[in-house]
Amino acid sequence: MKALIMAKTLLGMAPNCKKVTSFLAEYVEGTLPEKLRQQFDQHIGMCKCCGPYFEQYRATIGMIKEGKEVAIPSELVEHTMSFLRKNADFKH
Amino acid sequence: MTETARGHIDKTSLEPDLEALLAGDEKAFELLVAQESPRLFRIIHRILGDEEESKNILQETFLQAFQRMHTFRRESKFTTWLYAIGINLARGSLRKSKRMTSLDDADVERLQPSFSKGMFVESPQSWDPLKLAERTDRHKFLHQAIDKLPEDYKAIVILRDIEEHSTEEVAKMLNITGGAVRVRLHRARVALRTMLNTHFQYQSQSSK
Ligand SMILES: [Zn+2]
Repeated sequence: MKALIMAKTLLGMAPNCKKVTSFLAEYVEGTLPEKLRQQFDQHIGMCKCCGPYFEQYRATIGMIKEGKEVAIPSELVEHTMSFLRKNADFKH
Repeated sequence: MTETARGHIDKTSLEPDLEALLAGDEKAFELLVAQESPRLFRIIHRILGDEEESKNILQETFLQAFQRMHTFRRESKFTTWLYAIGINLARGSLRKSKRMTSLDDADVERLQPSFSKGMFVESPQSWDPLKLAERTDRHKFLHQAIDKLPEDYKAIVILRDIEEHSTEEVAKMLNITGGAVRVRLHRARVALRTMLNTHFQYQSQSSK
């Protein structure tokens, strides 16, 4: 099986590391065509480079999404509105 | 919670009243500010990292929106247009205040992996789960890395991965194509991975 995939990769019939890594965003998002996704699954599953690389790519996204909180200052709206009342020419 | 008088009910996905906004109606703006301030403030704050300056930029954003209402073409959602103003102002402010040197496009390019005949030139090594498990470190390393990104890459990471706006919305906010958003998001993530790699590899940190 492995040998077969390797042979296909060499013959350009299956994606190589460069191709797999450049389409990771689509792979993660699930927007790859089904056939390509299966080839990616196979490649990532057996490739010593793309395996850890993909894990790290995914971990990086996970970390980015982790830090979600920004404290909203309590007086934010009032603050902004009083600035606008001073500077914007509202109609009443 | 009950809305006071005037008989209109608080809908959760309130579309701003464009006619009232165009007419310069104060109440309509007040509603807009109340609805959009938190989310817009978060984006601006993530770009700038400074609360006071973020408040100023937020005010300036609504003032510019007020002054430029007549230029809104209704080709995008109104909030997309509003956020575009805020993001532009925030990026302008960031450019002015930039003390730390950030990466440029060539640096981002250097942080992408190299290939020879389709294979990795340098094989990626696994990360140390013990190092990854340190939440405080993880945060620190990641945010240091995000701060180093060129500001357009940074804005895309914030808008797509953190605030989870769609590619199309982000494209409109930044006035670039959807394809450019996709490419830069991927390159930004890869650059971040490479920067994090030095922290999370096994037996790294030979020096303090
Ligand atoms: Zn590979």
